[in-house]
Amino acid sequence: MQGREVFLLGSNRIGFCRAYTGYADQTNLQLLSAALNGLVDRYGLQGVQIDEVTAGAVVVHSSDWNLAREAVLNTQLAPQSVGTTLQMACGTSLQGALLLAGKIASGQIDCAIAAGTDSISDAPLSTSRKLASRLVKAQRAKTLGAKLAAFKGLSLRELAPLPPSTHEPRTGLSMGQHCELMAQQWGIRREDQDQWAIESHHKAHAAYQRGFYDDLVSGHNGVLRDTHIRADANLEGMAALKPAFDRANGTLSAGNSTPLTDGASSVLLGTREWAMAHGLPILARIQAGRTAANHFTAGDGLLMAPTQAVADLLKQTHLSLQDFDLYEIHEAFAAQVLCTLKAWEDDEFCHGLGATEALGPIDRDKINPVGSSLALGHPFAATGARVLGVAGHWLDQQAAKRALISVCTAGGMGVAAILER
Amino acid sequence: MMMLNYRQDFEGIVWLRLDQPDSRVNTLSSAMLVQLENALEQIGELPNLRGLVIESAKKSGFIAGADIKEFDQFQDAEVLRVALTRAHALMDRLASFEVPTVACIHGFCLGGGLELALACRHRVATADAKLGFPEVKLGLFPGFGGTGRCIERSGALAGMTAMLTGKTYKAYQARRLGWVDRVLNSPDRLRWAARKLILAARPQTKPGLSHRLMQWQPVRKVLAKKMRQQTLKKALPEHYPAPFALIELFEREGACSRSMRQGEIERFPALMLSRTSQSLRRIFLAAESRKVRQPDFKPRRVHIIGAGVMGGDIAAWAAFSGYEVTLQDLSAEAIEPALERAKSLFKKRLRTQPAINNALGRIRADVQGQGIALADVIIEAVVERLEVKSSLFQSLEQTAKPTAILATNTSSIPLEDIAQNMQDPTRLVGIHFFNPVAMLPLVEVVQGKQTAFHWITGAQAWVTSIRKTPLVVKSSPGFLVNRVLASYMMNALDILESGTSADQIDAAAVSAGMPMGPIELMDSVGLDICLAVAEQLALTQRTDTLLHQKVQSGQLGRKSNQGFYTWPLKRSLPQGDAALGRRLLGIICDTTLTCVEEGIVDNAEAADIGIIMGTGFAPFLGGPIRARELGAL
Repeated sequence: MQGREVFLLGSNRIGFCRAYTGYADQTNLQLLSAALNGLVDRYGLQGVQIDEVTAGAVVVHSSDWNLAREAVLNTQLAPQSVGTTLQMACGTSLQGALLLAGKIASGQIDCAIAAGTDSISDAPLSTSRKLASRLVKAQRAKTLGAKLAAFKGLSLRELAPLPPSTHEPRTGLSMGQHCELMAQQWGIRREDQDQWAIESHHKAHAAYQRGFYDDLVSGHNGVLRDTHIRADANLEGMAALKPAFDRANGTLSAGNSTPLTDGASSVLLGTREWAMAHGLPILARIQAGRTAANHFTAGDGLLMAPTQAVADLLKQTHLSLQDFDLYEIHEAFAAQVLCTLKAWEDDEFCHGLGATEALGPIDRDKINPVGSSLALGHPFAATGARVLGVAGHWLDQQAAKRALISVCTAGGMGVAAILER
Repeated sequence: MMMLNYRQDFEGIVWLRLDQPDSRVNTLSSAMLVQLENALEQIGELPNLRGLVIESAKKSGFIAGADIKEFDQFQDAEVLRVALTRAHALMDRLASFEVPTVACIHGFCLGGGLELALACRHRVATADAKLGFPEVKLGLFPGFGGTGRCIERSGALAGMTAMLTGKTYKAYQARRLGWVDRVLNSPDRLRWAARKLILAARPQTKPGLSHRLMQWQPVRKVLAKKMRQQTLKKALPEHYPAPFALIELFEREGACSRSMRQGEIERFPALMLSRTSQSLRRIFLAAESRKVRQPDFKPRRVHIIGAGVMGGDIAAWAAFSGYEVTLQDLSAEAIEPALERAKSLFKKRLRTQPAINNALGRIRADVQGQGIALADVIIEAVVERLEVKSSLFQSLEQTAKPTAILATNTSSIPLEDIAQNMQDPTRLVGIHFFNPVAMLPLVEVVQGKQTAFHWITGAQAWVTSIRKTPLVVKSSPGFLVNRVLASYMMNALDILESGTSADQIDAAAVSAGMPMGPIELMDSVGLDICLAVAEQLALTQRTDTLLHQKVQSGQLGRKSNQGFYTWPLKRSLPQGDAALGRRLLGIICDTTLTCVEEGIVDNAEAADIGIIMGTGFAPFLGGPIRARELGAL
């Protein structure tokens, strides 16, 4: 990254819960405010003016049109802190962090918070387009007759509320169905997916046991930790689960896919001077960031875009895929991670990414060493900030040098970043 | 010192901010009342006055109530009457403002604070606001015109219930009571809601037909009778005159708010000067002063070893209080019943999802003791055997965090003995809970000879954080509460053996102000446990007492359906003998005095709180030592 150095100074998130459980009574705004308030508490930011805060959610109510700013006003941050609401599917908070890092690097601002939240429990229901236009017509009509006329020919079907959909609008397939296609294309076996998921649970549990997450997670609504982690996850249990997206031949199950999750997370960024002025230690430098998108409607794997983002990043920074101590690869599905790893080892595929040869294999012990979304859960927009927070804390704890982060998103996009100490 | 400030904005609205200096809360102290008087006078004369908003600058809330510490200054009924009349005039002045007045309420709004708010035309509150009239718990009723205004807003039934029970209501419940006009989800919105109400300039809503009907004299009579019956189930008028005085006030003067407020001034001084109220106030202040708050002490995890009745219930209470709890025992089966009890506690106290499930998520069975290394507080509640406890703490010391509090819930083994093999014996502290944990507000923090002060303070702070009152006691057999209770029960046993019936003994104790008679108490505790405690405290040299016989024949009290009584117990106690009552309670006074002399507690006040909170000893007497000083026992 050109310009001034940008540092990751800290992170905070609330414990993640499966949808309709621990945060069933909470709204996106409440979750996001709690994550930010936890960040304020953790780093003593009471009354501090943050130059910019970006935050967003994937599943939103129309009333949340100023979500980031409203959340800022719910915190003890100075009310003069600006809030920008933005959205990039599951990449929201990582993209937010990179945009802000760019602003810091270019000298526009000195400090920033990137955050994300999502709540399936608080999902909005909307009316059908036809019904909405009738209601508007009736409201604008002057006479009773005209008001009634607006409802002429009303069918029962129009009355059904529309739940939000996470299906890809262009293909009509769910994320899982797309990933099922990827698994078939790359020949990813069910057992390998299950094994990957189990390890994610075990690593996350072990990290909790040694207190790793104490520095990352604050309590909210009586929830003190991630509630999805299964210490006793095992192959037999996993194997017993039915395929979730393709009943007949599918390999993806509820066990090796992320659950629908509620949660929120945030990261604090700033210059070295700003950090020193506020007495905050530095976790890691944000060395580079990159986004990429692929042509999934023409057949590219929907969740394969991070392969491109990472290839571009490596080219840009003159690093090889093996030059990292930590790889934080968001696990939307175990299959998606395994496809990505396999693709990077494939010469032909990597040619397509613009590389001269395969990027090569990665030491598996260095991937997601404290568990990832399969175990912790995946509140869409919150995941990017969670992953950044984990990577920064891990580098700091292990006194390691360099971490690679990648997050895949809906719409065939990917976001990647490099942290250095 | 300035207690408040105000400014008029360009729309003509005056914003009056209460900000008592050097205090966490605002109280209606005499200084505050005088400054309010002056401020209202000045504000009333401001040109272009469009409305008045009263708000608090304190984070903790609006107004916590009157200043209880000032109450003892009033020794003369006439002086008090004059002071009350003046305070009433202040509230009436506020109520008679021609422009709209609004109270902006967040956090606590109690007693006098609620009376002030009710004298405003409107009230807006944040969802987390807590409102109530706790006066009755101090042997009083509202004294700043609140009785009349409460009934005017809420109707006689709901209003009297609120004042008679002293219950605290959340903002949404307070809205149903008519105390709050609007509930808002963010403190920012309070002032904008207040502004809107002022610009709308609507008149005060008049009480509806049903409210007025309840104030009609024949209806009042019926209601008063019903209220008396209900209140008698909880308290006797000779012990607790306040609720009965309030009912009498309502019955006679409840026709309208004004007459009720006038009657309030006449009746209040007697209550304020009564021994009951003095005692209750003293206990309240003393209990508050026992609480230890350490802002930088933020424990998060509690590990409990031993999932028996005590260990399991301590774990459940800690999880209920917001801690992440690991509960250890030899097997998952041994822990299961404790988790079931925790579940029913959460269901009863939290009532709604997801609060119940989230509380359940905070407590986990931990057979391997994985929680030890991460815990901030570790409490042992295993079998009462020295060698078991001693070796347990030896190993805990190795694995626990160096900052973790290491505590034992022992009631019978000296701390010094348990700590003897520890590398750092200064670390061991006692945290002694009473059964049932959820019900009893007192926890004894036990200081062994070897315990360092630092760990005592930590234990006090933790106990305070789970909403219990910590009482520091020296390590000695039975500590304070059990020792006093044991001699109380053994004394009753002597009287029983000498021929007085169990019913007579229990009746005498209850009439004297105990919540339960000593014989019924023994049956409830379990006769085997009573015997063990008595033997341990060397209170009995004989081996052929009635208690021994009962235990030998397997009649263990309530748990075996047969003890001194046959359970379940169905009876109505007669009026007890006063002399016998004094004798029964006298032994409590004697033993408590001995404990103070032996230095088991700091002072008489500490002993009084301990005995009241730990045994239910008649609170209106102010504690055994106070009662003795006043010549009541």
